Amino acid sequence: MADLESLEKLAGVSQPSEGVGGARCSEISTDLIRSLTELQELEAVYERLCGEEKVVERELDALLEQQNTIESKMVTLHRMGPNLQLIEGDAKQLAGMITFTCNLAENVSSKVRQLDLAKNRLYQAIQRADDILDLKFCMDGVQSALRNEDYEQAAAHIHRYLCLDKSVIELSRQGKEVANKAEENLLLVLGSDMSDRRAAVIFADTLTLLFEGIARIVETHQPIVETYYGPGRLYTLIKYLQIECDRQVEKVVDKFTKQRDYQQQFRLVQNNLRNSAPEKIEPRELDPILTEVTLMNARSELYLRFLRKRISSDFEVGDSMASEEVKQEHQKCLDKLLNNCLLSCTMQELIGYYITMEEYFMRETVNKAVALDTYEKGQLTSSMVDDVFYIVKKCIGRALSSSSIDCLCAMINLATRELEADFRGVLSNKLRMGFPATTLQDIQRGVTSAVNIMHSSLQQGKFDTKGIESTDEAKLSFLVTLNNVEVCSENISTLKKTLESDCTKLFSQGIGGEQAQAKFDSCLSDLAAVSNKFRDLLQEGLAELNSTAVKPQVQPWINTFLSVSHNIEEEEFNDYEANDPWVQQFILNLEQQMSEFKASLSPVIYDSLTSLLTSLVAVELEKVVLKSSFNRLGGLQFDKELRSLIAYLTTVTTWTIRDKFARLSQMATILNLERVTEILDYWGANSGPLTWRLTPAEVRQVLALRIDFRHEDIKRLRL
Amino acid sequence: MSMEDYDFLFKIVLIGNAGVGKTCLVRRFTQGLFPPGQGATIGVDFMIKTVEINGEKVKLQIWDTAGQERFRSITQSYYRSANALILTYDITCEESFRCLPEWLREIEQYASNKVITVLVGNKIDLAERREVSQQRAEEFSEAQDMYYLETSAKESDNVEKLFLDLACRLISEARQNTLVNNVSSPLPGEGKSISYLTCCNFN
Repeated sequence: MADLESLEKLAGVSQPSEGVGGARCSEISTDLIRSLTELQELEAVYERLCGEEKVVERELDALLEQQNTIESKMVTLHRMGPNLQLIEGDAKQLAGMITFTCNLAENVSSKVRQLDLAKNRLYQAIQRADDILDLKFCMDGVQSALRNEDYEQAAAHIHRYLCLDKSVIELSRQGKEVANKAEENLLLVLGSDMSDRRAAVIFADTLTLLFEGIARIVETHQPIVETYYGPGRLYTLIKYLQIECDRQVEKVVDKFTKQRDYQQQFRLVQNNLRNSAPEKIEPRELDPILTEVTLMNARSELYLRFLRKRISSDFEVGDSMASEEVKQEHQKCLDKLLNNCLLSCTMQELIGYYITMEEYFMRETVNKAVALDTYEKGQLTSSMVDDVFYIVKKCIGRALSSSSIDCLCAMINLATRELEADFRGVLSNKLRMGFPATTLQDIQRGVTSAVNIMHSSLQQGKFDTKGIESTDEAKLSFLVTLNNVEVCSENISTLKKTLESDCTKLFSQGIGGEQAQAKFDSCLSDLAAVSNKFRDLLQEGLAELNSTAVKPQVQPWINTFLSVSHNIEEEEFNDYEANDPWVQQFILNLEQQMSEFKASLSPVIYDSLTSLLTSLVAVELEKVVLKSSFNRLGGLQFDKELRSLIAYLTTVTTWTIRDKFARLSQMATILNLERVTEILDYWGANSGPLTWRLTPAEVRQVLALRIDFRHEDIKRLRL
Repeated sequence: MSMEDYDFLFKIVLIGNAGVGKTCLVRRFTQGLFPPGQGATIGVDFMIKTVEINGEKVKLQIWDTAGQERFRSITQSYYRSANALILTYDITCEESFRCLPEWLREIEQYASNKVITVLVGNKIDLAERREVSQQRAEEFSEAQDMYYLETSAKESDNVEKLFLDLACRLISEARQNTLVNNVSSPLPGEGKSISYLTCCNFN
């Protein structure tokens, strides 16, 4: 038994005093005994060994005596083993229990701490509520005291108010969002009372108040949010505010739609535009509502721009270290919030209806201006041109005031259509009636133009109430229309410039995003292009005037040239000098006719007309010259006549007409030659600064008009 | 290339129901992008791309309109000045196809009578979800005298072709008009062989 062994050792150690040599070996080793040879020595060793043996025996006896006690101790020890295990388990259990209790205590105490905090807050809240009640009490007190003219009492209340914690007032502002609702509803109610000044825009004003309220909340809370949550969190605050804003906007717009009959009006307008309306809406009645809607939209745009600016600059600070992706994600969130909020959608809807109604307003008012067109003596244009442009400007201006670029562009497009198709059509129809001539051959024309008038007025769906009472009036109407067309062209260019400068301000505020300017420029250039269309119409009208009024008159006057002989002797030539046979009368006639136009056409148109006239005279005169025959003096006479004519025409035109008469002048030079061969002094290498406008064949043709030149000489010429 | 350096300028307006992919078609053509999660267009967007067709610089002004009803009065104001209209629907959305007659009525009412209209069925990359068969669309477009093309803005299928073919057609139409209107004065460059007739292939 291992246990026994160790126990023996243990016993040996425990009795060092009894076993003197017990623990050590005998002093006499076996080797020593073997080396002994002397008997004496052997005996001595033997004796010592015997002595040692006795000691060992004694020690053994002592040890054997102890065996019983040791055994009994061992039994007790064995009995104690299970007890020890039990104690260990109990100890562990106890330790677990202590930990649990400890945790429990910890929990309880933290809960107590929380409770304590809550209690504190509750106390604070109660305190605040008390303060607010106090505040209200003070206010009521001041009011009632003032009503009762008890000024001392009022002063006491005010004193009490001033003693209140400043933070109470600050805190009460936080509840403003809700208070706003009340404030704004109150105003709605007030709206019905305020029947005068701002009544026409009461809904725009209501929205403004709402937006201003929210803007104030953002202003006051932004620093708080920034301090406690850090930058980049404003978006979250505004997201929640926007929900409330949308709720309020919905209410206001609902009220607006109901009170102003907005939908109903829109539907009526739509039917009117489709010509299927039972009743016509007076455009003037739409005026106030159109103004109000644009104002409402302008306020919304301003508010949304404010939010965008605030949120993006807050994001900018918050995202200064962020990745490009995060930045884009934030930008997307911002776009989504502002583009998809109910406010945006509602306003887009209102503006959609607005555009259709504004279009109707513009069209109907333009029609009215055309119907009421009047002409005052001494004026070049009639009333409708100024009226129409006033209307168009007003409508585009109103669209501009909405601050919506898409709305503005749509109205520019619609104005372009109105001017290009409708109004230009009106003027074009008037010109198509023609300029009545007074000569015999044109009585027929008068009939056809009367038929034309009937046709065009039927096409327009109405009769020209003024009618054409006399040819004079018809003439005037034509000329006034020409002036009108020219002014339209000018006005469109002016309108374009005005709009351009008006909008630079808008774009500098960054309205409408990056494309806004490009969109606007494109629409505006379409509008500007209509100016050229009016210019084309003017040219058409002038050509008509020239071919139907000027040419039939001028042609007979030129034809009389043929009845004046240019084959003359000295005597006749002198006689012509005293009694001009043709040119003076012709100039007089021209002057008379042109004076009629000069008085009633704008300088620019008059200039164009005289230009057409001089071309006509040059072409027609060339024709009759080629039909005449000349001798030397006749050629000289023609040269004199042509010089007088050119001199006169130079005085009535602002630009040089020499070019138009170059061919005729060269013909006069040829008709003035002494001999056929003299032409060579002016031809080819000898022409000097002169550029011949006549071909060699034409030169021969003109030479042949001289009856005193021989055909062979002309044929022989080398040109 | 300067702004004014072009031989032709055409206005193309995209119309059709919301969400059929008008903006994606325009973005794909003008910027080579397919922006996923494209938000709804607000009002109208405006893009410019200048392309060269047989040596002629053609500036395309592309107006991408919002499909949502509330923007209708804005988008309608652009029809009149359009040289071409791209009427778009989504082949995976029967509803967008069924609305086509309504769109055609709008075109009839507001667009110029010279306008060229192309019918486009977009989103052919989602073939497994197709709701409108190609044959049906072709029959419809034939009856309405329109060109028909199926595209995928996502996979860039037929997008280039759509715009370039349209540009070709617009050029030949413009030439015909000037020829009719003033026979005596041909356009500068008219002397060139008339190869543009062969450059386009309309299916």
